[in-house]
Amino acid sequence: MPPDPFTLCLGTIIVLALLGLPVGYGMIAGSLVYLLAAGQDPSIAAEQLLQGLRGSYILLAIPLFIMSAELMNVGSLTNRLLGFCNALVGRFRGGLGHVNVVQSVIFAGMSGSAIADAAGVGRLIIGMMTRDGRYPASYAAAITAASAVIGPIIPPSIPMVLFAVVADASIGYLFLGGAVPGLLMAVALMGVNSLRARQRGFPVEERTPLRAFPGIVARALPPLLMPVILLGGIYGGATTPTEAAAVAAAYALLVSAVVYRDVSLGNVYRAVLASARASASIGVLVGGAMVFNYVITVEQVPRQILALVGADGLSATSFLLMVNVVLLVLGCLLEGITILLVIVPIFVPMAGALGIDMVHFGVIVVVNLMIGLITPPYGLLLFVVANISRAPLLSVIRDLLPFLAVMIGALAFITFVPEAVLWLPRALGYGG
Amino acid sequence: MNAGRLASIGGWLRRRAENVAVALLATVFVAFLLQVVFRYLLNLPLGWTLEVSTLAWMWLVLWGAAFIVRPADDISFDILCNVASPRMRRVFDIVSGTALVLLLLVTLPAVVDYVTFMKIERASYIGVRLDVLFSVYVIFVAALVVRFSIRVWRAASGTTHVPAVEASGQTD
Repeated sequence: MPPDPFTLCLGTIIVLALLGLPVGYGMIAGSLVYLLAAGQDPSIAAEQLLQGLRGSYILLAIPLFIMSAELMNVGSLTNRLLGFCNALVGRFRGGLGHVNVVQSVIFAGMSGSAIADAAGVGRLIIGMMTRDGRYPASYAAAITAASAVIGPIIPPSIPMVLFAVVADASIGYLFLGGAVPGLLMAVALMGVNSLRARQRGFPVEERTPLRAFPGIVARALPPLLMPVILLGGIYGGATTPTEAAAVAAAYALLVSAVVYRDVSLGNVYRAVLASARASASIGVLVGGAMVFNYVITVEQVPRQILALVGADGLSATSFLLMVNVVLLVLGCLLEGITILLVIVPIFVPMAGALGIDMVHFGVIVVVNLMIGLITPPYGLLLFVVANISRAPLLSVIRDLLPFLAVMIGALAFITFVPEAVLWLPRALGYGG
Repeated sequence: MNAGRLASIGGWLRRRAENVAVALLATVFVAFLLQVVFRYLLNLPLGWTLEVSTLAWMWLVLWGAAFIVRPADDISFDILCNVASPRMRRVFDIVSGTALVLLLLVTLPAVVDYVTFMKIERASYIGVRLDVLFSVYVIFVAALVVRFSIRVWRAASGTTHVPAVEASGQTD
């Protein structure tokens, strides 16, 4: 019996990826194998990729957020912001690790994408941590990946927008529901960082005297205002997240070029070129996922998984547990947006029937999928941070494991204690 | 033609390709800003801005992947490659590169058919024919075929680098 087209497709992707072919091209190649073996028109791959990229209004936020981070990087904005975080938490052992987490929380208020966070600000902080070999590159990469996961859990969040679309849930309350779990995870990450820092003797940053604080806050005020402007825009209902991303880039350019006057035209050109390069390498990965997504949809893979795990006759709690396990396993293999758009829609009606609150369910799903970004072997964020830090993937994964463990713990907590998610939205008028 | 001259031509071409990519990203950004300004400040929504920025984004991804993304920027899975001997890595490059190039070449006629067929449609606001807009995919495939053929050839012949790519005027 000849192997069926889907097995061939999956096999091709796995083998090519293992041989070191860029993952996006591997997914395109595997999908081409599928189309040829199934006797379908191979131009479907081109069509999926072109129409997918052309129709992805929300994905435009990726290049725009990367560009705003690069532009902040060229000027002194990010340095000022990092200076502020440093004054706040740098004095503790493993200070730059804490700075990494705190800046993620602040930047989470501006960016909706974990990949953009890691590729943008992450690049900077990895540079700071590895300068003069102060922290091992693999640890810097690991904590950057772990803290970037928080980004889309704290609003604004592109994955939550996508969930709101597939589940017909309230985007405003979903955003609010992510706030407490996001902060909880930040605290957990800082706990792990303290522990590791003590064990491995990571450096402490110079203590900032109290009288220097007003100056540091004033220096950091323009970048600190950025989340206020963005979230104000989104919560006021004025702008969509993608528009907010464009405003962020314009704001960064304006402040650097006009207020601080510390960028030249050549610097701006190089920043835009670096953003173009990063956007293209991430875009090709997303494009490859879109093509592969077609294969998965045609093959009805989600249905087969459901049949496999036998989802009948479950209680709400065991259903949530099963969803978490399935999503975590899938998250090791598939890209989050693919899971969100293809597999989650199957769970939504079941969750509804079991009386599970949609805001609670949405936050669980997004937290789970964001953790999937850092689970080996196929965690997109792992590739991004390993790529930036030039550290081998295997050692990044080793340093990541404790962070991964506490994040899965946080996921279990919000799964079994719905109030952790729903308290803030309810306090602000959510009726669910 | 000597290697140095080839290298300088390669570098010049690469810098022009970078100019195009920067222009595309700038287009995404400016068109989007115009949309925000016109919609919220002037209360005069524009339709073409969104179309221009999504099309420029599509071009940016494929053009960028074709010409400006360097091997080190590619997002790939390096666990096996890091433990493999240089000789094994060359075998990896030959196998994976040949597979990709063959698949792209075999499916290229169907892709060209699809792209030329799209001449029947135009982008709704700016009115440009879709075969023109989608031609970037053919450019992307052709560039990948060339790039990975070179990678296979280098791995097979044992040359580790060719000056044309090294002398590309990278500054960052």
